[in-house]
Amino acid sequence: MRHEAGIVEGRARRGLPGHEENRVPVLDVRNLKVSYTSSGPQILKGIDFSVDDSDFCAVIGPSGAGKSTLIRCVNRLVEPTEGDIVLFGQNVRALRGGELRHLRRRIGMIFQEFNLVNRMSVMDNVLSGRLGYTGAFRSFFKAFPREDIDRALHLLERVGLQDHVDKRADALSGGQRQRVGIARALMQKPEILLLDEPTSALDPKISRDVMGLIRELADEFKVPVLCNIHDVQLALETCNRIIGMQDGYKKFDGPSKGMRKQDLDEIYAMEVL
Amino acid sequence: MTVVTAETVAAPRKSWSRYRHPEATIRFAVMLAVLAFLGWSIAFLNIDLSRVLGAFPRLAEILATRYFPPDLGYVTDADFIRSVIRTLEMSLLGGFLGVVCSIPLAWLAARNITIGRRIAYPFGRFAIMGSRSIHETIWTILFVTVLGFGMLAGTLALTVFCIGFAGKLFADELEAIDMGPVEAMRSVGASPLQVFQYAVLPQVRVAFTGIAIYTWDVAFRAATVVGFFGGGGMGWYLKRTTQQLESQRVAAILLVIIALVLLAEIGSGWLRRKIAAMR
Amino acid sequence: MSVAAPAVSEHGFDAWVAHKRGRRINNWLLVAAALAVLGWCFWDTIMVDTDWARMGGALGIGGTLERFLWIDWSLVPHLIVPALETLMMATLGTLLGCVLSLPVAWFGAANVTPSKYFFYPVGRFLMVLSRSIHEIIWALLFVGAVGLGALPGILAVAMRSIGFISKITAEAIENIDPKPVEAIRAVGGNQFQVMYYGIVPQILPVIIGTIIFEWDINIRRSAIMGLVGAGGLGLVFFRQMAMFNYGGVTLVVLAVLVLIAIGEVVSLLPARP
Repeated sequence: MRHEAGIVEGRARRGLPGHEENRVPVLDVRNLKVSYTSSGPQILKGIDFSVDDSDFCAVIGPSGAGKSTLIRCVNRLVEPTEGDIVLFGQNVRALRGGELRHLRRRIGMIFQEFNLVNRMSVMDNVLSGRLGYTGAFRSFFKAFPREDIDRALHLLERVGLQDHVDKRADALSGGQRQRVGIARALMQKPEILLLDEPTSALDPKISRDVMGLIRELADEFKVPVLCNIHDVQLALETCNRIIGMQDGYKKFDGPSKGMRKQDLDEIYAMEVL
Repeated sequence: MTVVTAETVAAPRKSWSRYRHPEATIRFAVMLAVLAFLGWSIAFLNIDLSRVLGAFPRLAEILATRYFPPDLGYVTDADFIRSVIRTLEMSLLGGFLGVVCSIPLAWLAARNITIGRRIAYPFGRFAIMGSRSIHETIWTILFVTVLGFGMLAGTLALTVFCIGFAGKLFADELEAIDMGPVEAMRSVGASPLQVFQYAVLPQVRVAFTGIAIYTWDVAFRAATVVGFFGGGGMGWYLKRTTQQLESQRVAAILLVIIALVLLAEIGSGWLRRKIAAMR
Repeated sequence: MSVAAPAVSEHGFDAWVAHKRGRRINNWLLVAAALAVLGWCFWDTIMVDTDWARMGGALGIGGTLERFLWIDWSLVPHLIVPALETLMMATLGTLLGCVLSLPVAWFGAANVTPSKYFFYPVGRFLMVLSRSIHEIIWALLFVGAVGLGALPGILAVAMRSIGFISKITAEAIENIDPKPVEAIRAVGGNQFQVMYYGIVPQILPVIIGTIIFEWDINIRRSAIMGLVGAGGLGLVFFRQMAMFNYGGVTLVVLAVLVLIAIGEVVSLLPARP
C-alpha cells in the first residue's frame, strides 16, 4: 500500500510517550491481523500498540476502519487470525475455556447497544457483572453475596440510578441504560475497561455526560480505558491518548493534546464527506 | 391454471429480466412433475374419484343413522370419567417432562448459542428431529411393547412427542434472540450455564411459557388417542367400543373428546394471550 | 479500586432484600404447588397403574430392547411399495386438504367472508373442528364410511390438514395490503379478477410455504394410517408387530425416518433462490 511508508515514518517520528519505557504495559498488541473468513478481506492488517495503566485511550477513524474489531479482539469476542495480544502479562490468544473466562472477568466492557437484558431488573443486570466470580449454585438461585449487592447499590447510586434499582431495564431511557452498562462493567472490579462505541446510540448531550462519567469513574478506580469512538470532538475532549486508524492500519498514535488538524485529515483521508 | 399463477407471481419482480425464460421453464417442469406424480398416485392407489366425492355424504349418512343418538349414559359412567381425569394427568405429566427435556436439547440445537458446533449441535438437532419424525402412536406402540400396557408407556410416548414438538419451537425461539446480552455475559467471564440463565432465558421466558402451554394443549389432543394403542386413558374405551361396533357409544366418546379438546384449546389460548400481555 | 461499602440507609442492602423476599416467596409457593400437582399426577398414573411385576425388571426390558436392535434387513424389498403408498397418501391428502381449505379460508377470513354473521363463524368452527379431532379418529370414521384401503387414509389426512392450512390462509388474507386490491377495482376488475390479481399474488408465498410444511407433517401422519385399516407403512408396522418381529418393526421406523428426511430435502428446494 502506498500509505505504508508514511505510517512507518510517522510512527518513528512521534514514538510513544517517554515515561512508558520503564514499565510493563497493561495491554500490548503486536502485529494483529483479523479476517472473518479465511478467504474474505482482512479487517485488521497488522496493528501494533500498547496501553499503559494511566491511559484513557481512544481509537478513532472512519467507519469500516476496524475499530470495533480491534476492541473486540482484546477479550476475544472476535478471534484474531494472526499476531499477539498480551494482557496483564498473559497471551490472550493462547487461553481456552476456563482460562479465558478468568481473564474476561478482569476486563470490563461497555457496549454500543448497551447489551442489557431488557426483561431483567436493573439490579440483576448490574449484579450479572459479578457472574464470573459467582459459583454455579449461587448464580442459579440469584443469591449474590452481600458485598456484591452492597457494591451494586453503591455503584447505581454513583451513576445516578438509585431510584431505578428495581425497574426493568427496558423501562429506562438510553442514557440511563448506558449508565446501567457502566455499573455492570464496574461490578467486575475491572483492571481495564473496553468501550465499544459507548455513545453512538445516544444523543450528543447525553453522550458528553456519559463519557464524562466514564472518565470520572475511570480516574476514581484507576482503570485504564481503551475505547472506540466515532465522535472525534468527544474523543479529543475526554481522552488523553488517540490511536487513529484507517482501513485496517494504524495511522496515528499519540497524546490527544498534540493532535493537529493535518493528523485528523490523514486519518479521515479516505472518507468522502 | 397453476402455471399461470406461478408466472403471475414472478412477473412483478422479474418482468423485464432477460432471464425469465429458464426460470419459467423450470417452474413449468416442476409443475408438470408434480401433476404427473399426482396422476400416477391416483392410478397406483386405485382411487375411484367418484368415491372421494361420495365419501362425505356417506359419512354424514352413517353419522346420522348409526352414530346417532350418542349414548350419553356411557360417558357419564364413573369409570369413564376416571379415565378422562387420568388422560388429563397423563397429558400434564408428559407435557411437563417433554418441556423439561426439550429445553436443554433446544439449547444444543440452536445454532447461535449451542455449546459445540461439531457434536452438541447435531446431537440436539437429531434428538429433536427424531422425536418429531415418528408419530406419537408409533411411540406409544413401541413403549407399550417394551414396558407393557398402561399409563407409563402412554406418558413416555407423550414425553417424546412433546420433546419433538416443543424442542423445535424452543430452538426457533432461541435462534431469534438478541445476541447483545449474550456477548455482554460472555465478556464478564460467565460460564455457559450462567450465560444461558442470565442472557438467554430472560429474553425467551414469556415465549417459552406460551409454547409450553401450547405443547400441553397438543399433548392433550394426542393423549386422547394413546389409549387406543394401549397407552392408558380414555382411548382404551374408544378402542373397545369401536371393535365391538357400539357406534352410539363411539359417538358419545367422540363428542366428549371434541368438547374436551375445544375446552383445552380455549383455555390454553386464553392463558397464552394473558401471558403474551405480560411481556 | 475498592469501594468502601457505605451505609446507604434508604437504598441499603436490607431494604432491598426485604423488598425482594416477598416476591420470591410467592414464586416458590407457585412452584411448590405446581410440583405437588405433578407429583400427584405421577403417583396416580404411573405408580398406581403400572404393572411393575409383569414388566420383568431391567433384564426383561433389556431383552425386549435387544430384540428391536436386530434389524431385519430382509424386509427392505417389501417396504418399497408401502413407502411409496405412504408418500402418495400424504401428497394426495395434502392436495385434497388444500382444495377443501379454500372455501373454509374464504369463509373464515374476516375481510372477505361472504357473511360476517353466518359464514364467518362456520369457517372458524370448521377450522377448530378439523384440528381438534385426531387423525386416528378421522381415519376410523372414514374407514367406517368408505371401507378399507388408501382412500380413508387420504381423506383422514385431508380433513386433519384443513384446520392448519385454512387458518394460515385466512390470516394471510386478513393481513393483505388493501391498496393493490383497490387498484384492480379501480381499473374495473370484476370480483374474480380482484381475487386473482389482487389477493392471490400477495398470499401465494405464505400458502406455498404452509402447504409444503403441512405435506411434511402429513408424511408422518400417513405412515400410521395403516394401523387402523388404511395402507402404507403403517400396515407393515402393524403386521410386523403382530408377528412379534421386532427387528422388522425397527426397519419400518427407519423407513419412516428416511421418508421424512426425503420430505425435508424436498421442502427445502423451493426455498432455495
